[in-house]
Parts: sequence; structure tokens; C-alpha cells
Amino acid sequence: MRISSNTIFDSNVASMTQQQARLMQTQQQIASGRRMLTASDDPVAAARALELNQSDAINTQYAANRTAARHKLSLAESSLQSVTSLLQDVQTATVKAGNGTLNSSDRKTIATELSGRLQELTGLANSTDGTGNYLFAGFQSKTQPFVNTPTGMGYFGDDGQHNVQVSAARQIASSDSGADVFMRVKNGNGTFITQAAATNTGTGAVSSGSVTNPAALVAGNSYSISFSLVAGVMNYAVTGAPVTLGAPVTGVYVSGQTISFDGMQLDIQGTPAVTDTFTVTPSTNESIFTTISDLIAALNAPVAGASLTNSLNRGLNNLDNALNNVLTTRSSLGLRLNEIDALQSAGEDLGLQFKQTLSQLQDTDYNKAISELTQLQMGLQAAQKSFVKIADLSLFSYI
Amino acid sequence: MADLFTSALSGMNAAQVGLATTEHNIANASTPGFTRQEILISSRAGHQTGAGFIGEGVDVTGVKRIYDDFLNTQVHQEQNRASYLNTYHSAIRQIDSLVADPAAGASPAMQGFFDALNGVASNPESLPSRQAFLGNAQFAVNRFQAIDQRLTDIANGLTNQIASSVNVVNSYARQVATLNGNIKRATALGQGQQPNDLLDQRDLLISKLNQEIKTTVLQNSDGTAGVYIGNGQALVIDEQAMQLLTVQSPGDPSKVEVVYNNNGKTSALQQSSLQGGNLGAYLDFRDQTLEPSRNALGRVALGMAASINQQNQLGQDLNGALGGNLFNAVSPRVDRNTNNDPASGVPSVTIANVAGLTTSDYQLKFNGGTGYTLLRLSDNTATSYATLPQTVDGMTINAPAPITAGDSFLIRPTANAARDIALATNDPTKIAVAAPIRGTAALTNSGTAKISSGTVNAPPPTNANLKNNVTVAFVDATHYTVTDNSTLPAPTVLAPSTLYDPNVGATLTFNGWTTQITGTPVAGDVFNITSNTNATGDNRNALLMASFQTQNLMANGTVSFLGAYSQLVGEVGAKTSELSVTSQAQTNMVAQTVAAQQSVSGVNLDEEAANLIRYQKAYQAAAKAMQIAQTMFDAIMNIK
Repeated sequence: MRISSNTIFDSNVASMTQQQARLMQTQQQIASGRRMLTASDDPVAAARALELNQSDAINTQYAANRTAARHKLSLAESSLQSVTSLLQDVQTATVKAGNGTLNSSDRKTIATELSGRLQELTGLANSTDGTGNYLFAGFQSKTQPFVNTPTGMGYFGDDGQHNVQVSAARQIASSDSGADVFMRVKNGNGTFITQAAATNTGTGAVSSGSVTNPAALVAGNSYSISFSLVAGVMNYAVTGAPVTLGAPVTGVYVSGQTISFDGMQLDIQGTPAVTDTFTVTPSTNESIFTTISDLIAALNAPVAGASLTNSLNRGLNNLDNALNNVLTTRSSLGLRLNEIDALQSAGEDLGLQFKQTLSQLQDTDYNKAISELTQLQMGLQAAQKSFVKIADLSLFSYI
Repeated sequence: MADLFTSALSGMNAAQVGLATTEHNIANASTPGFTRQEILISSRAGHQTGAGFIGEGVDVTGVKRIYDDFLNTQVHQEQNRASYLNTYHSAIRQIDSLVADPAAGASPAMQGFFDALNGVASNPESLPSRQAFLGNAQFAVNRFQAIDQRLTDIANGLTNQIASSVNVVNSYARQVATLNGNIKRATALGQGQQPNDLLDQRDLLISKLNQEIKTTVLQNSDGTAGVYIGNGQALVIDEQAMQLLTVQSPGDPSKVEVVYNNNGKTSALQQSSLQGGNLGAYLDFRDQTLEPSRNALGRVALGMAASINQQNQLGQDLNGALGGNLFNAVSPRVDRNTNNDPASGVPSVTIANVAGLTTSDYQLKFNGGTGYTLLRLSDNTATSYATLPQTVDGMTINAPAPITAGDSFLIRPTANAARDIALATNDPTKIAVAAPIRGTAALTNSGTAKISSGTVNAPPPTNANLKNNVTVAFVDATHYTVTDNSTLPAPTVLAPSTLYDPNVGATLTFNGWTTQITGTPVAGDVFNITSNTNATGDNRNALLMASFQTQNLMANGTVSFLGAYSQLVGEVGAKTSELSVTSQAQTNMVAQTVAAQQSVSGVNLDEEAANLIRYQKAYQAAAKAMQIAQTMFDAIMNIK
């Protein structure tokens, strides 16, 4: 084939230009550490890397969210831990106050101690997160949730829970409503509450009672137990309202003997007077604050005896319920903290996977790139040397 | 004897012409477009003698250029395609490096926006985190605007490049026309001999012309060449050159189109006939890559802004008011055709839903009595409508008034979005992080039923009674009533006694909100849905907004915002990659075709060196013959 002299130059220049471009590209890959310098270098991987980058960033964001949630949950947990030991102290003091050897001034001392505890409890219920946001106020984090009012402790928060996105599919509540923790504590035994009438004169002390047959309960019904002397023997009678009892429940009163009706049972110890009455009403919500202030009022009252015993029994019952309520909340907090820890380690694994895949997609393989660079370098040098030799060949050199 | 002289002289002449032609070849060895020339020689017919025909020397019959029309045409075609691909490639590389750049692309800004939104959701009370969110939103807005601005700069540059390419075409066309005249006259004068160097010059011009635009060349017998573009539109005929001109496109004022210029009067030219070369690459890049890219970018910006706006309007800001727009509402661009009746109005187009939006532009045409035709330009799908308004592909088109038959409009739903996106507020309290309502259970409830905090029903605007105080009261364990207390002392009963199943719960939807009651209530239990006052710690609405990052809200619910953006990156990247490969292949193709053409027409200096020696020797030999003839003549003269 005939070769034109220009072709020799043109084709050599073109080939060297191409080799230089590839050399430059490889050098940039090595210098930047990125395999894809622009999207066109690998369009599929580039689009995928964008999405992976987002997934990785979201995963990192969830980790930050988890840290924020853990912070709030830990604060609530530490507050409630203090509330727990406070309630236990109040329980101990209440049991101590039931000791028959105490006189009224001893009880007043205990009442004073409990007043201090009540203030401490108010402080704990109004805990903040350190930046002025109340932990137990629901959505209204800037509003002090627990404030003393003439009618007792008022709750000025709401039922809102602050949720945090802790993983792609999971939102965890990082706060609990103060109403659920401190205000909505069932009194009595949780189903009904037994009370002695304030006018009772006998020594009858009623137990808190229990449910024996839930199916037989009449929801919302109240009962009263009254006494009468029949032939010199004390008898009791139970009446229900508004639903009256199917069969009359009456009998000879024996101290400590079980009285059963409508699926529940209780007993009365001591000697009630004939005019004495005891009532059984459905449990209602009573705040922890009310329970403690009722106890303080009972301890401050000058009288002792059955009225005090009944008040202390009632108070102890309610304290039990309050403690249970706080412990339930704490165990829920603990579960959430555990879940966050589990999600944390899963998230870290996921993050590692994202980073590995991303690295495979977009990072330079140095072994490959450097060997390619050497190869291209050799190729270019060979092209340059051979070109100079070929360009030197000319018949004109000899004529 | 005389024959000897004549014969030797003709040999010397032929060798001289050969040497001159060889010198010419050597001198033009690197002249662009030059084809090597050869002398045509033939022996003179001998004169008859008794001993037969005795030769009388040699004649130079012409100088011809070694030229292969087929190879030359092929070179033109391949060069045309190569310049198209190379120009398209270098144009698209500007976008390729822009959109996917880890620092300059939109994805880091979008990521930052949602990160900051998550920060607000985690700390709804914190003004600094709200401020950080606004800062990140502004950053995202700036990034969209910056990329759009870069695309606009590229588009403006293209307008100039199209104009200068048209000027180059005009200039070459005029030069070809002039050469046509020269060649015609030279051919006539040469009596059959071709003006080789003029032909080379014209071929070179046509080759350069082909680098700008694809042409077809027809050779005429008088030596002139007709040059045609597209489907036979004449550019050069004989000594006449048509002139092209760029004018504003009547259908789309934002771009130029190329037309014929007949002494100041323009006549339209099928834009599809402007194929290949630099000009074709500029037009194709503009229409097939640049504008769809801008639409795709705008769609992401618009989708984010509209979705966040909508959700923000369903929430409650830090001041306790219902949220407003965080971003400016961006409206579609509508251009009237300049040929429309000047009295005609322009249709107003609004965004109906973000998910339905495409990256296409649309042409709306009024056909008079038969209504409107809407043409989706990306796939040329035409749909007819008897009346407007209609909601199509996420936008609502309202009827223009007045309107004349034949009027047409160009609707670009997302073209301006990335340019026009802006923050509507810089007040951090205006971010609607909370929901406007909350459900609460009365503290005195003794049942175990619970009420959810409630959600606000989409889409905005919210119900006028949304924040009214509503009570759900259980008359017994299985029946409840719903009452709106805002009209006290005569409350409005929203639902009379309604059956409640404790095993299933109930979903209540009134006054524009929805809430759930679950669990076992007892008679007398009361739940309230009230205005969410003082709700500094509520993050429900921010959580919903933050979840948009991973929700598939675009392209009929198939991709997320970033997914839509990475589609753009993928498409531009794939096209660039394809062009990178094809333009490289085409460059090699050109090199091969040129080598083939050069192997016929190119000058080989070794060959010319050999020819120099050949003709030198021939000249010396002929001169020697002349000397011998003289010696012979002298011998006769010396006979005494």
C-alpha cells in the first residue's frame, strides 16, 4: 500500500495524543483516589453511588437521632430512678407511722418529712433536659407541667409523646407524658377501693380486698357494708348501687373473715360500731401527689386508731400502685434504651457495608491503576522513539 | 535527422514538465486538501517508412490529479460525523462534570437539607437547629440556582456558537460559489484540461463545510458543484450561495432557530434538516440534553419545594399558627407562539401534583371548534381535549381567553423551577414542626382506652374548624358521641351516639383531622381533641417532612427526590460515556478513511524523490540523444 508522508505524521501524532489522554486519566485516578472522575466514566455506578451516599448519610443521621433519643431517655430514666427511691422512702416512713407506740408529735415529725419528700417529688416531676425543656410535659416542653393549685397538684402538660426516627422503619418515643407517670395512678387495688366512713367510731379496719372472679364484676357499681345487732350478735349486710345485689349478702360479722360479693372479696378486722359503714367503689385515678398529701393530712390529724389505720392502709396501697406505675414506665424506658443499643450496632454494621460498597464503586484500585500507568508510559515512550526513527527515513537524505 | 532532434527535444520537454510537477507535489506536500498530480505522457505516432513506423518522441497530454471521488466523499461524511460527535461530547462533558461532582452537584445540598430537618425533628425547641435548617435550605436553593445558572450560561454560549457556526457555513458557501465560477471559466478555457488546484481548494472548502453541517454535493458537467443540506435544500447552486440566519424561534422565545435569508426576507427551514457537524451537534445537544437536564433538575427542585410546602401548611409553627410556605411557589413557564393572534391570551398553568410531573415540555394548540390538542414533546404523544381546564401529568391547564384558532403555546412545567426556587421565609419560628392538634385523655378517665395524638388530613388548605375543641364522650363502654364545643353554649354534635368495639378501636375523622381510639373505655370517659397550644416539644410534622427524603414522591411514586436527581446524573453520564466511545471510534474511523484517501491522493516524498531522479535521468538521456544527433549532424557537415 502507498503511504502518504502526511499520514505517517498524522497517525503518529493522533496515536500519541490518545495515549497521552489515557495516561492523564489514569494519573488523575491515582491522584484523586477516585475511579470515576465524572459520571460518564461509569454512569451506572455513579447513579448508584449517589443513592448509596444518601443511604449512608441517612444511616449516619439515624445514629445522631439515636444519640438524641438515648440522651432524653437516660435523663427521664435517672429522674424516675430518683422517684422510685423517693417512693420507697415514703413507703418506709408510712409503715413506721403505723407503729402503735408513736404519739401524735412523732407522727407530725414524719408528716414534716413527707412534706419535704412531696416537694422533692414535684421537683423531679418538673425535671428538665438541661436546656429548659420539661421532660414530663408532653408536647408543651416549655410549660411547667406540675403546678400546685388550690385544688391540689395540677397537670398542665398533655399526652403527647416525642417520637424520634431511630431507624428506617422505627420511631421510638423519647419522652413519656407526665400524666401517665404521675397522675394516672389507679387507687385502691386497681379495680376497686375500700374506704371507711369518716364518721366511723368503731375499731374496724378494712382490707384493700381483691378480685376473685373478673367475670362477675359489675363495672361502675358501688357497694356499702353496714352493721346491725341481731340478738346481740353483730351482723353485716352489703348493698349495691345502682345495681343491687342478686342475692342478699349478709352474715354474722367475724373479725378478719372474708366477705365476698360480685366477684370480689375483702375483710374487716376489729370491732366496728353499729353505725359504722364501709364503702367499696370503683378505682379512680389518683395522682402520686394526692396520695402523699392525703397521708400528710392523716398524720397531722390528732386522732389515732382505726381511722389512722384505714388512712395508712389506703395510702400504702396507693403508694404501691404508684411505685408499680413508675417501675412500669422505667421498664418501658429500659426496653427502649435496649432497642436503641441494638439498632445502634445494626446501624454501624450497615454503615460499614455502605462504605465498603461505595469504596468498591468509586475508589481507585491502586494496584491496577499503577500497573496500567506503567504500561501506558511504556507504550507512549515506544511510540515516541519509533516515530523519531521513522521520521528520519527519507530518500532526500541520500541525494 | 530532424526527427532525432524533435524526438530528443520532446523527451527533454516531457522530463521538464515531469520535474515541474514533481516540484509542485513536493512544495505542496503538506498543503491541506492538496492531491498529488501526475503528468500524462504518450508516445507520438511514428511516421511511416519503408522499414516501418519510426517513433518521433513523446507528448505531454496533460497533468491530472490523482483523485478518488468515492474516497473523498467518504472522508467528508466521516469527518461530518466525527465533528458532530466530538462537539456533542465536549458540550455534554460540561454538564457531566457538573451534576455528578461530589462537591458541586445537588445531592450533597439535598442531603444537608434533610439532615438539618432531622435535627429539627430531634430538637424541636431549639432555635439554633431551626436556624441551621433554614441555612441548609438556603444552601440547597443556592445549589439548584447555581447549577441552573451554569446550564443557562451553557445555553447562552450555545446561542453564540450556533450563530457563529451559521456564519462559517455562509462564508464557506460564498467561497464555494466563487470557486464554482472560477472553475467553470478555467475549464472552458482549458479545453478539457481540469484546473486541478482550484478543484483541490473547492474540495477543501466542502470538507470544512461538512465539519459544520452535513451536505450533499452534486458535480455538474461544466465543473461547478451543487451543495445541498438536509433533504435537498440548496446551499450553493452554480455561482449562487444561499445565506442562513439565526432568528428567535416563534414557538419558543428562549431559543434561536436557523432560517434562510433571501435578501433580508427570511423563509423557514426544517430544523430537522440541519443535521450533523458542529451545527447539528449544537442543536441536538441543546434540544436533547441541555433542556431535558434543566427540566429534570427543575423537577427535583419543584418536587422538594412543593412537597415540603404542602406538609408545612399542615403543621403548626412555633408561634402556634398554621404553617405557610417555606419555599416560594414556582409556576410553570408558558410561552405564546409569536405567530399567535396578538389579542389572544395565555393559558395559566398550575402544578396540581408533584408525583405526576414529567421532564417533558408540552405544546398546546387550539384547533378552533374541535378544542385543544396537547402534544407531549418528549415522546410526541398528542391528546385532544374538547374543553379546558384539564389536569395532565401533574399540571392543570386553564383555558386562555380570548383565543383564536391556530394559536399555540409552549408549556414548560419544570424548566424554570431550579432558577426560581427561593426561600419564602427566613424566620426560624415559621417552620411548622408541630401538628396543630392533639388528642388527650381526661385525667379522670378510669377505662384503659387511649387516644392517638392525631394527624391533619392532606391536602392543604386545612379545615376551617381544625383547631376547634372537640370532645369524644363515652356514654357507655360501647357508645360514644363527638361534640364540637367551639359553639358553646350550643355545642355542635358531630356524631350522635356511635357504636364502639373495644377489640377494634375506632378511627375518627372530623374537622380535617384523624385520630384513633383504642382500648377499653368505661362510661363517662372523655377524650379531647384540641388546638395544640404551647406545643414546643411536638415534632410530628417535622418527622413527616423528614420522611420525604426516602419516600418515592416523584414520577408517579416510583423514585425519591434523590432518585430523580440520580436519574439525571445517570442519563447525562450514560450519554457522555456513549459519546466518549463513539467519538473516539469515529475519530479512528476518520483517521483510517483519511489514510485510505491519502494513500491514493497524498504525496509520498520518497516517491517524489525517486521521480526527481527519474525525470533528471530522462532529461540527461534526452540531452545526450540531442548531443549525439548534433554529432551525427556535424559528421555530415564535415564530409567534404
